[in-house]
Amino acid sequence: MAEILTALWGGFELALTPTNLLFIFVGVCLGQIIGALPGIGPSAGMALLLPVTFGMQPATAIMMLAGIMYGGMYGGTLTSVLVNVPGEAASVMTALDGNKLAKKGRAGAALSISAIGSFVAGVGAVTALVFVTPPLAAFALKFSAPEYFLLALLGITATAGMGSGSVLKALLAAVLGLLIALIGMDPIEGRPRLTFGSQELLDGIDFLPVAIGLFGIAEVLASLENTKHAEPMKTRLRDLWLTTTEWAESRMAIVRGGLIGFFVGVMPGAGPTVASLMAYVAEKKFSRHPERFGEGALDGVAAAESANNSAAHGALVPMLALGIPGSASTAVLLAALVLQGIRPGPMLMTQQADLVWGLIASMFIGNVILLIMNLPLAPLFAALLRIPYAYLAPGILVFSLVGAYATSLSLFNVGLAIGFGVLGYVMLKVDLPRAPLVLALVLAPLMETSLRQALMLSEGSPSIFVERPLSAILLVAVILSLAAPLYGVLRRRFSGPAFPGRS
Amino acid sequence: MEFPKNPTGPTRRSMLLASAGIALASALPASALAQAAKVPTGPIEITTGTSPGGTPDVLMRRAAKILADEKIVTNPLVVQNRTGGSWMTAANFVLNKRGDDNTVLCIAQPILTTPITQGLPTVYDKIVPISMFIQGDLILAVRPDHPAKTMKELVDAAKQRERSVKVAGAQAGSTDHMVTALVEKAGGVKFNYVPFDGGGAAQAAFLGGNVDMIVMTPSEALPLAQTNKARLVAILSNTRRTEPEFKDLATAKEQGFDVVWGQAWGLAAPPGADPGIVKFWDDAIQKLVATDAWKAMVREMYLRSEVVPASRAVAHMAELHKLHHAVLSEIGLAKAPQ
Repeated sequence: MAEILTALWGGFELALTPTNLLFIFVGVCLGQIIGALPGIGPSAGMALLLPVTFGMQPATAIMMLAGIMYGGMYGGTLTSVLVNVPGEAASVMTALDGNKLAKKGRAGAALSISAIGSFVAGVGAVTALVFVTPPLAAFALKFSAPEYFLLALLGITATAGMGSGSVLKALLAAVLGLLIALIGMDPIEGRPRLTFGSQELLDGIDFLPVAIGLFGIAEVLASLENTKHAEPMKTRLRDLWLTTTEWAESRMAIVRGGLIGFFVGVMPGAGPTVASLMAYVAEKKFSRHPERFGEGALDGVAAAESANNSAAHGALVPMLALGIPGSASTAVLLAALVLQGIRPGPMLMTQQADLVWGLIASMFIGNVILLIMNLPLAPLFAALLRIPYAYLAPGILVFSLVGAYATSLSLFNVGLAIGFGVLGYVMLKVDLPRAPLVLALVLAPLMETSLRQALMLSEGSPSIFVERPLSAILLVAVILSLAAPLYGVLRRRFSGPAFPGRS
Repeated sequence: MEFPKNPTGPTRRSMLLASAGIALASALPASALAQAAKVPTGPIEITTGTSPGGTPDVLMRRAAKILADEKIVTNPLVVQNRTGGSWMTAANFVLNKRGDDNTVLCIAQPILTTPITQGLPTVYDKIVPISMFIQGDLILAVRPDHPAKTMKELVDAAKQRERSVKVAGAQAGSTDHMVTALVEKAGGVKFNYVPFDGGGAAQAAFLGGNVDMIVMTPSEALPLAQTNKARLVAILSNTRRTEPEFKDLATAKEQGFDVVWGQAWGLAAPPGADPGIVKFWDDAIQKLVATDAWKAMVREMYLRSEVVPASRAVAHMAELHKLHHAVLSEIGLAKAPQ
């Protein structure tokens, strides 16, 4: 204990040197911007800046890059809430309720609770890193293909309860997402699937152009219909802060979201996206007003945002303890170490103790900077929505298309984004929820690959899903998540007509 | 890129060949041998197909830094990551730069394997190879609780029941996959190869005890061996490594299994490249590998740096293509005809 605190103190001494402090600041600012911009997510942003770190001290480099990683989790909230374009995959859940809140004039509240939630969960996750990294890493390794498959399946079944519409419609959208995910290279055999000989389709359809189209562009298209009501959103400045009731309702959501996020983040293979989805779904179960989820639930935003930030930190557990990447972002951090001539592995924490503790200390500092930056900025950004939508809409459109172009610097993705924009508009018109499609697209590769890996590991026997204790627990959760809505339907059917206004 | 080591070693023979080449060249008319190096003007792009931090990217960045620090190349050198399509985005970019003096392509395994597995037109015979100058060894390792201590014991374990030994590796058609196929062939056994999403995920599955065997580079293997998280069974090079950490690790060949495979990287110029440009790079790489900084990097990353110069690079690439095609056909992944 005393040793840990001494080591952490040493870490702070390293992180608080002027150069390092400057680069932590640079890192989190860049992360904030990169997270907010649709097109490049945190891991792509880190990869872009990796060459810049080549001449730096290893500790400085890794502190800056890590800053981008968790700064991105703060930044992703902005565009999700304000214009319904998720800046990165982990913010899809935030867009769901955050944008509804913005339309009700509560954008400031959504942004503030996200900043606070991310901060609390982030600091909590770093504290957990300090004390329990080695045992947690051993736990994380217990998760392998069978568990990942069931986790992804749980995510897909959970989308059924998403939004306020019917379960069937949500599942329909999810299946469409799964179908789209089949396009591209077969992840196990490496053969092209449904690509029709197109080179562009060989890498599959990326999540970002789909999300940009379905959310951002579709929204703009739909807004073209109501030209008559093009009034600016009425948000008075004093409405931009959280009310006491709102805070009281979201407090526990932050704690629960943070905990779920951390555990999901620790597993190599499941990242912040899965974490925010799980936290959101769990929060809906805990919430006293689940009917508000999908219509603008502040606790839903709080849970999702806390979860994605603590998951980003949790992904450092397998990286620091074992030298294996827990996420796309930590893979870039490991690459940065390799570029610096440091060999990651199980001995990283002992051989590079200064660096590891410096990194951990820097994350405390970075989270504080981000909180200080985001709290006053929340009302400021929320005030953007006072601009009449007629002026805002073209901006959103340009922003969305540039974002789609930036994902791979190809016009193909711009075309995709427009195509999915039209699809999103149609889905809006026929009242199909869009989030299940996007989430299914994100979860499908994990689900497919791990199902096939699991069956390869067991030589074809499905018993692998019940023999492993963690698998068995997850399997029960999947069955329950499927049975619960069914039970609800049956109960309603046999106990006469439901109360009007309930459900 | 993976390929068996030159069977004669690094090597005196190749140096003899090279000097023979020079001798031959000097016998030719002056016009043929006086191929003067042409120094490109302006910044030069080194195109790679991995994201930053991938091994080829790290190697190219290190090389670029040393080339600049030692003033071997005075033009600004920019390493560009053009990812996508399993290196085909990078390859196509360079293929379209016909005769361009300011672009070179990093050669790595997918330049050969992607066209073979995807049935696309070959790339290796359209670019102008400059030199292959970095090689990496591969090591077979098993879980520390696995009974096998040698290659023979590993193969015997696999013989007891087909597909009973599980192997974690990267995607289908990757180095790991090809190496597994070669071991299967040499031992007359069948492993259960489970492809993961890259080397990191494969290592996670290995460390979690979900599989028995894995293929690693020396720098990946060392920390796992030192912490008793993996037992190294064989190195797949022609000769043992000389470092104290690895000198006791026997080659597969010594253990009676003729499996020699490794990784290799190099540089190529776009199609129709000026021979002067090729000469310029060929010379630059000869100077690069002689620097202390380069030698230190090669030591630190447990690589090898044996130069296949431009004079032999074309034939060498054709040979590599044949080898890869043969192995990929063996696994049933070759879509393109030989």
